[in-house]
Amino acid sequence: MIRTILLLVSLFALGGCDWMPGKPNPDSKWREASETSDFAILYRQNCLGCHGIGQVVSGSIAMDNPTYLSVVPREVLLNVISNGVPSTAMPGFSAAVGGTLTGEQIEILTNGILAKKPAAQPSPLPPYAADPGDPARGATVFAASCASCHGNTGDGGEKAGSVINPAYLDLVSNQYLRTVVIAGRPDLGCPDFTARTPGKPLSNEEVADVTAWLISNRRNEFGKPHAPAQPPLP
Amino acid sequence: MNKLIHAARGVFLWVDDRLHLTKLYESTAGHHVPQSSGSWFYVFGSATLLCFMIQIATGILLAMVYVPSAAEAYTTLEYLTFHQYLGWFLRGVHYWGSNFMVGIMLLHMTQVFLFGAYKYPREITWITGVVLMVLTLGLAFTGQVMRFDEDAYWGLGIGVAIMGRVPLLGEQLVNMMLGGPIIASDTLSRFFALHVFVLPGGILALVSIHLRMVLTKGINEYPQPGMLVRRESYDKEYAAIIKKEGVPFFPKAISKDLVAAAVVIIGILACATFFGPKGPLGPPNPLQIDTLPRPDFYFLWIFAIAALMPDWMESVALLGGPVIIGIILFALPFFNGTGEKSWRRRPIAVLTVILTYVSLGLLTYLGHTSPWSPDMNAWRSAHTPKKFLEGRSPLELQGSLVIQSMQCRNCHAIDGIGGQRGPDLADVGARLTKDQLVRQVIQGGGNMPAYGKNLTPDQVDAVVAYMVSLRTPGVAAARDSSQPGRPPME
Repeated sequence: MIRTILLLVSLFALGGCDWMPGKPNPDSKWREASETSDFAILYRQNCLGCHGIGQVVSGSIAMDNPTYLSVVPREVLLNVISNGVPSTAMPGFSAAVGGTLTGEQIEILTNGILAKKPAAQPSPLPPYAADPGDPARGATVFAASCASCHGNTGDGGEKAGSVINPAYLDLVSNQYLRTVVIAGRPDLGCPDFTARTPGKPLSNEEVADVTAWLISNRRNEFGKPHAPAQPPLP
Repeated sequence: MNKLIHAARGVFLWVDDRLHLTKLYESTAGHHVPQSSGSWFYVFGSATLLCFMIQIATGILLAMVYVPSAAEAYTTLEYLTFHQYLGWFLRGVHYWGSNFMVGIMLLHMTQVFLFGAYKYPREITWITGVVLMVLTLGLAFTGQVMRFDEDAYWGLGIGVAIMGRVPLLGEQLVNMMLGGPIIASDTLSRFFALHVFVLPGGILALVSIHLRMVLTKGINEYPQPGMLVRRESYDKEYAAIIKKEGVPFFPKAISKDLVAAAVVIIGILACATFFGPKGPLGPPNPLQIDTLPRPDFYFLWIFAIAALMPDWMESVALLGGPVIIGIILFALPFFNGTGEKSWRRRPIAVLTVILTYVSLGLLTYLGHTSPWSPDMNAWRSAHTPKKFLEGRSPLELQGSLVIQSMQCRNCHAIDGIGGQRGPDLADVGARLTKDQLVRQVIQGGGNMPAYGKNLTPDQVDAVVAYMVSLRTPGVAAARDSSQPGRPPME
C-alpha cells in the first residue's frame, strides 16, 4: 500500500515537473518583428520616440491629441506612417521605403491611433488640409491669437520660442504648420485652435491665413524669402 | 545458505584475482589521505568532476534530439525548449551544469592556489589542472555555439575574429575552425565534433592523469602557517603526516565531498527548475541587427575587455594576453614551488586572488550591462522625458526629433533613456559650448562618426539648439573659456 502511494506520488511529481517556474513560456519564444500585432507594443517600439501618448510627451504631436485625431483623415495617417514625410524628421515605416513594418502592422497602428479619437469633437472643425490663405491677414491673426506667447513678431516671447526661425521653418512641412495651428501642443502648453483666444475659436480662414503668414517667413541663408519644395500632401 | 555464501565468495575471489579489484580499491578509494584534508575547502575538485559527469549524461540525452546542422539546429532547440516533454528541463540542467562547472572549477583553482597545493611535488597535478581549465572553457565556448542562436552566431564571430588576428596562420586557423571563410553549414558540424568528442575526450584523459597525480603524490595537507615546503624533506614529512594522521579516503574523508555533491546536484536542479534554460534567442541571422548579443557569464569579462580596450591594444592584448597568462600559470609551480603554503603568510597570493576576483567581477558586470552596445531601436522607441521638452522653442523641439530620426539616441541616452554607448545628453548643454557641439556633430570624434554629410545645416542648427538647452534648470550653458566676454548662446 505504502509502495503504491509512493509510486503514485512520484509519478505525480514527475508529471508536474513540466510546469515549473523555469519552464519557458511559449510567449517568450523569439518571433519575427513582423509577427507583432499588438497596437501597444507596435506603438511603443516604433512611435513613442517622437510621438507621445498618455503620460509620455515627445518632440512631435502626441498621437492622442484629440483635436488632431478629430481632423486627420484615416488615409492621410496611413500614408504618413507608410511613407513618411520627405524632408522632415518623419521616416516611412513600410518595407517599400526601407522600413520594418508590414502593411498589416501599419493598419493596426492607424486603427489603434484613430481608436483614441474623442466622441465629442469641437465644431466647426477646420479641414485637415487646405491651401494657405492671406499672409497679411495671417499676421493680424497671429498678433491676436499667438503673439502673447510667441512674441509680437513671432520671434519668441516670454512663454514660447520663435516660430519664424528659418531653420525651424525649413525642417517642417506646410501641412505640419497648419496641423500645429489647428491641434496645438496641449501636452506642452500650446492650445489648439479653439483655445488660442478663449471663447473664440479660429475660423477656417484664420487658420489658413496664419499658416500662410508662417510660410511667408521662410528665409534662405541670405535672409531672402524662399519656399522649399513641399512634399505632396500629407 | 553457507554454500551459497561460499560460492559467492569464490566468484568474488576469482573476479578479484583477475581484475585486482581489492588492490585497485586500496590504491584509489581506500588510499590514505591526511585527516586535515577532510575539509570543506577540499570539496571543489570532486564537485567539478561531478558537474562534468552531469554534463555528459545530459549531453547524451540532448544529442538524441539535437541536430547539429545549421539548417536544423535552431528548430531542434525550439522543439526541445517548447515542445519536447521536459526538454526545457534537460536543457536547463545542461546549461546550469555548465555554469556550475566553470564556477566551481574557478573555486577549486583558487583553493589550490591559496593552499599552495601547486607546490612541490604536485607540479604536474597543477599543470594538468590548468589544461583542464582551458578544455573546460573550450567546452563552455563550443557549448555556447551549440545553442545556435544570435548570441552563438556573434560570439563565434568574435572568437573567429580573434583567431584571424594570429600572425601568418590567422586565415588558416579561421578556415580550420569554420570549415571555410565564413560561418556556414560546416561550422556547426565542426563545433559539434569538438563539443561532444574532442574536448570531453581530452578532459577524460587529463582527469585520469590529474587523479593519478592526486593518488601518487597525495592530497595536499591542510597548510599550517610556518610549515615550509622543502624539496629535500617534503616527501618524508608528508609520509610522516600520512603515517600519523592518515585516514582512508573512503569512507572517512569522502563524507564532505558527498554532502557537497548533494548540494551541487540540488543547486543545478533548482536553478534549472526555477530559472530554466537560456534561449534560444533570435535565430543566427547576420541580417538581424535588432539584437544585443552577449556571451554566457564566464566569457563576459573577455567581452568587456574586447569592447573597452583601445583599438591599438586589441591584437596585442587578445593574442598576447592568453599567452602571458598561460606562461604564468604553467610556470607557477616552478618559480614558486617551495616555501610557505598557508595563505595566512602569503599576502601577495591573497592580493592576487582579490585583484583577480574584483577585476573579473567588475568586467563581468560591465559585460552583463554592455553599455557600449548601441540600442538599435532607441531612435524610435526611447522617448524624451517631459522636463527636457517643456519650455523648448519649436526649433529645439525639431532638434529633439532630428536626434531621434538620425538615430543619435541609439548611442546617446537622455536622462538614462536610450543607448548607453555615448555620453548621456541630459546635461550636454552645460558641458559643451555651442561651437563645440557643432564641431562634434559635424566632425565626430571620440568613437562618434561624423555626421556632417548626413545633416543639413538646418538640422545641425536644430540639433545644436536643442542640445544647448539640455541642462539642469538654473545651470548656465557652457561658455567658451577663450572668449570670456562672449555670451554662452552665441
